[in-house]
Amino acid sequence: MFKYTGKRLLQGLVTVLIVVTIVFLLMRMLPTDYYFTEDQLMKFTEEQKNEQLLAAGLLDPIPTQLIRYYGQILRFDFGESKRIQNGVPVVKIIEDKFGISLKMGLISVVISVVVGIAMGVAQARHKDGIIDHIGTGYIVFANAVPPLVSYSLILIFGSRVLKFPSMYSSRNVGPSSVLPIVCLSIGSIAWWALWMRRYMVDETNKDYIKLAKIKGMSEKEIMRKEVLRNAFVPLAQYLPMSILTTIGGSILVERFFSVPGMGPLLTDAINKYDVNVVQTVVILYAVLSIIGIFLGDLLMIAVDPRITLTDKGGTEE
Amino acid sequence: MIDKDLEKNEEIENEAELFSFVEYSPEVAEMTGDSEYSYWKSVFQNFIKKKSAVVLSIIFIVLVIFTFIALSIGKYDYKTLIPDTSKAFIKPNSEYWFGTDNIGRDYWSQVWYASQVSIKLSIIVGIGQCVIGVLIGLVWGYVKKLDGFFTSIYNLINNVPRILYMMLISLLVGQSFTIMTVSLIAFGWLVMARNVRNLVMIHRDREYNLASRALGTPTFRILIKNIFPQLISVIILRLALSIPETIAMESTLSYLGLGLGIDTPSLGILLRNARNYFLDYPYLLIFPAVIVSTISVTFYLIGNAFSDAADPKNHV
Repeated sequence: MFKYTGKRLLQGLVTVLIVVTIVFLLMRMLPTDYYFTEDQLMKFTEEQKNEQLLAAGLLDPIPTQLIRYYGQILRFDFGESKRIQNGVPVVKIIEDKFGISLKMGLISVVISVVVGIAMGVAQARHKDGIIDHIGTGYIVFANAVPPLVSYSLILIFGSRVLKFPSMYSSRNVGPSSVLPIVCLSIGSIAWWALWMRRYMVDETNKDYIKLAKIKGMSEKEIMRKEVLRNAFVPLAQYLPMSILTTIGGSILVERFFSVPGMGPLLTDAINKYDVNVVQTVVILYAVLSIIGIFLGDLLMIAVDPRITLTDKGGTEE
Repeated sequence: MIDKDLEKNEEIENEAELFSFVEYSPEVAEMTGDSEYSYWKSVFQNFIKKKSAVVLSIIFIVLVIFTFIALSIGKYDYKTLIPDTSKAFIKPNSEYWFGTDNIGRDYWSQVWYASQVSIKLSIIVGIGQCVIGVLIGLVWGYVKKLDGFFTSIYNLINNVPRILYMMLISLLVGQSFTIMTVSLIAFGWLVMARNVRNLVMIHRDREYNLASRALGTPTFRILIKNIFPQLISVIILRLALSIPETIAMESTLSYLGLGLGIDTPSLGILLRNARNYFLDYPYLLIFPAVIVSTISVTFYLIGNAFSDAADPKNHV
């Protein structure tokens, strides 16, 4: 177990290292002008620019820069933003932003898991009934209709009929967060419901459920004690992932409702060529999802003692 | 005496014949089955039985044909649209069938032109992902030595959200139809390859393949004739699902300003333009939204129906 954990952590570390390297090298392909703030670009002459670059070590050979960058990351120094917020350390910017994303994301994860699982269970219990058909219709809608369209529909319905604010505002956090949270949740509710239903239907056809029925357990008890728990196991591994990725925010939802969270940060940084911010945010996303997958596997072992990952070293898919 | 010796010789000769490879000839190989069963015929029959799927396919085909008709019967040609703010936000009428947008351009021609772009993009990307995914998946699953190599590539790419790659590409390379197509394919084959690989691993060491190998069937033939038919239903499902996924990804990226260039209208770009105005002028949202949803939902449902039909397990 410990050996396995260690191996996985090492693998994750190597992946992070590769991602860092690739992102760093890609960013060095951009013209050096992007290392200056817009003010500096206007004022500086070519010589001054070169001096600055030399002083910052940005004209060194790439391998030297890369090794220096590794060192900086170890010291948790991700440089300064040049374009979005003049000269503010990137870590500070992220600190300011991720709270909003995290709060909204967590609420939406809780809603999705609770509603999604409840929906999946209801569908499985009334298989081929009206509830099942309605649920399937919803799942098809949420999966097939492009998010941009479904968000727009929610926006129209929510702001016209239910009178919720159509934009996020920090002065009116409660009501103005409702629509973004609904948008964050529609897709993941469908996801949880789809798989919960599928796994529950699979489980109910198994022999041990027949035995439980013969033993005289009531339908409710069978569902709660046997089916639900076993059907949840394969889903458990996705839970940490969905919680952790909320830190990164949803790029589309936050842009759509002008939420000042992590999502728009990356698009802004990309549109304005803010090298340090892009680098840091991409690395953050990668690290979060690697940790998420890893924790998911650990959680799966924890909820189901029959599963061992050590012999084959892979997650089930 | 002589007769007996002869018999013995014959027996041994027969034995040698039994344990030598038979010369391969395709005609003889096909001769074994004598049933009337034809795979594609059964697929077709099963598919036809599902009325909803047939109706949806017809809707899609009609829609594609209509995009061309709509462009030619429209009163304005997309390429000659001129912004004219005095004509902005005209509600749909007999002159402007879908109304006009915020800078007074005819919406009808924009919507249909954009639909064509989106359909073209998603079909090219879907087929591209499919071809690359199947080829890599077959090799990945069949050649055990390469498993580790492909698995680490898969993990490396899959560990980072795909939208990040797409954003970085539009930052570093640029924005155009070709760039978008290539990069969507380059990061989209993974799911297909992974599905194919898992199925190949399940089937490659089954008895019938062992028998084929023992009989000297070339690897390529085993892959194409024995294993590939097992994959068709999954491949078709993935292909059909990749179309709504591509449309969703394209519209998301275009909305963020990182998709196709501004001069190539896609449904994503129309929806982005509509974002600021559709609360007051709902028709700006409704027309592109209905078309894009029809395409996506149709493919999603056709894919599910067709993959059931293509699964040999469901054939009688």
